Amino acid sequence: MKVSVDNDLCTGHARCWSLAPEVFTIDDDGYSNIGTGKDVPPELEEKAHLGIRSCPERALSIDD
Amino acid sequence: MSSMDAENSAGTVDPFESMWEMSNPQPVYKQILEMGPVQCPAEGVAFVAGRAELEAAMKKPDLFSSEGGFLDLGNIRPLIPLSVDPPKHVKYRKILDPLFAPKRMDALEGDIAARFNHFVDTFADRGECHFTNELATPFPSAIFLGLMGLPWEELDTFLRFKDGIIRPGGGLLEEDERKRLQNQTALEIYDYFNGILDDKEKDPQEDILSLFLRTEVDGVRLTREEILDICFLFLIAGLDTVTDSLTCMYAFLGTHPEHRRRIANDPSVIPAAVEEMLRWESPVPVVPRMANTDGEFEGCPIAAGSFVVMMLGAANVDPKEFADAHDVDFDREPNRHVAFGAGVHRCLGSHLARRELRVALREYELKPGIELHYAGGLRSVENLELVW
Repeated sequence: MKVSVDNDLCTGHARCWSLAPEVFTIDDDGYSNIGTGKDVPPELEEKAHLGIRSCPERALSIDD
Repeated sequence: MSSMDAENSAGTVDPFESMWEMSNPQPVYKQILEMGPVQCPAEGVAFVAGRAELEAAMKKPDLFSSEGGFLDLGNIRPLIPLSVDPPKHVKYRKILDPLFAPKRMDALEGDIAARFNHFVDTFADRGECHFTNELATPFPSAIFLGLMGLPWEELDTFLRFKDGIIRPGGGLLEEDERKRLQNQTALEIYDYFNGILDDKEKDPQEDILSLFLRTEVDGVRLTREEILDICFLFLIAGLDTVTDSLTCMYAFLGTHPEHRRRIANDPSVIPAAVEEMLRWESPVPVVPRMANTDGEFEGCPIAAGSFVVMMLGAANVDPKEFADAHDVDFDREPNRHVAFGAGVHRCLGSHLARRELRVALREYELKPGIELHYAGGLRSVENLELVW
């Protein structure tokens, strides 16, 4: 599984980082810095899904 | 069922009037959502209540502007960054975001707890307190003293400034007298921070005011006026909103013992509980925008210059987004509430507020027999008394 952030949509709520910091890192301004196509190990996929679904701006997605 | 509910379900009260009364707003939000996610009940005004529609609208600052100058608190210039649209807004957030970023706020948690306990210590042995006056009101101001590198002795000055612009005279003055006090306080605020900034210029520290003075974005420093406009906003946005949130949450827990016991038995639920109570209480129930151009939004014709009410509180109980939206469920997943807004103006202080609220959840009970009185505007309990 790979995840991506749309930096035009991220406004720094940091809910992803709060709920799944192992997957969703943030920069010093508090915005997602995972870029595109970040690998998620199988054991963290469930947390990654929660982080994606929790984004108030729908800025996170799973890559097809 | 309260009389307000009865009136609303009978359709005899206009929900766009009663939504400003804050004692029991969620049934009013429900009624408005059932009428439609976006509505224009009168010329020149629109209400955005649906969660998805609100998110879409807040992502369009070019159409729904924050530069309308709605917030007249005696300030002589627009508040920064609240009343500024992109692209200028981006510059200010570049400076401010790192100062209020989550990791930086995590590092403050010890200081936040110490300042909270400073107030608790003043009444802990008494077995009761006036929570609104003795804790919820001064605590957020004490946090800002720390952020700004100012001594505890300045606390009363901060509280006087805040009250002088937000509720001048405590609601007891005639309108022109109220406005006069507000304008006078506003000028005092500019003078006060101007003096502090002079001091910081001579003797810079690591506080945020010193950082404002030396931070550059694209090679340009903030002007003195810009820094003053940021300080002015902090008094409003950083102080009163946390007071409101604290009183709403403590009142909710005081009237919902099962939720209170859950927190007492399992403090690890506190972060999720804070999010869910922010969703349910929506202490900042609405934020204003102004339509920039004539257009249509979600089937509603909106003329340029229209006042557009972004109903954060209604969006937070939209059943299309939240299953069992009127149940307060600390296990709610996901919880995409918009209590801190959405889009580019997402609350700058949200990460600080979250930490203040998490630190603050303690055990107590409401004083028996107390009838809670909710203030309007921002949702807040004015007379919250607790015992333990």
